[in-house]
Amino acid sequence: MKPEQVMTEQESFSIIQRMINAAKQEQKDNGMGWIIWGWMLFTVSILTVLNIRFSWFQTFAFWNAFGICSILLLIAGVIKKYYSKKKNDVQTYYNDLFKLLNIGFFISLSFIIIAINKGVGIVFGFALLINLYAFWMLIYGAASNFKPSIIAAFITWGLAFAGLFVTSVEMIMYIQAAAALIGYIIPGHMANKAYKQHSSV
Amino acid sequence: MFKDLDPILHSQLRLAVMSLLIGLKEAEFTYIKEKTKSTAGNLSVQIQKLKDAGYITVEKQFKDNYPLTTCKITSQGIKAFEQYVKALQQYLHVK
Repeated sequence: MKPEQVMTEQESFSIIQRMINAAKQEQKDNGMGWIIWGWMLFTVSILTVLNIRFSWFQTFAFWNAFGICSILLLIAGVIKKYYSKKKNDVQTYYNDLFKLLNIGFFISLSFIIIAINKGVGIVFGFALLINLYAFWMLIYGAASNFKPSIIAAFITWGLAFAGLFVTSVEMIMYIQAAAALIGYIIPGHMANKAYKQHSSV
Repeated sequence: MFKDLDPILHSQLRLAVMSLLIGLKEAEFTYIKEKTKSTAGNLSVQIQKLKDAGYITVEKQFKDNYPLTTCKITSQGIKAFEQYVKALQQYLHVK
């Protein structure tokens, strides 16, 4: 690119468009984070239902294991990021927003989990968790202009409301699994497909 | 009545730098160089001109013993860029 070359108005517009598209590439999410998170939630919910049916372990053994795994993954992620030599050569407002959104999400998640352990009630507590997933999806979808997440947020809220009216742990686990599938797994795979298509262009 | 196009922005490389920075919080020199496909020397000169015009801020520091230059668009730069785009639109509507 030459600095002082005379440009036509069309050339100016073309440069602006090309560079804005290049900057937009920094804001693309490959969806892998929520595919993994979604499958973890889905698997644990279904395993809990099977555990209730076949009485393998204590009812929430899989959720306890899930909690430990999540904390270990979080610690591993922080350590990896701290020691990573990979340069972070660009910062976007979008990435900053999601960093804070995810911190807020995990604080709220921890708050509800502690509340469940303090006696809020398992079924009600899980309905609150599903409500929180919906809120995250809505903000994510709106900020990244990703419609599947916005639609998934409203369906997940419907599931959260339904969760308020069920009484069995088994039923709330089915609702939780459905929320993970609709809210994270399906939109996650759609985002991943779109990311791959965009990257290959 | 047509506004004159800002001469600071009406240059390929400077316009590319500004168009890139408008969508980002901040970017390192190496990133801008890669995206604009420019040479380090050329880019340094144009970045300095944008800095002198008050359109961007440039922060120089060291990271792991390597120099690190980070550029960020200023509010004055955003305003100038918006005016430039408006003026461009006027020209294009007439043609």
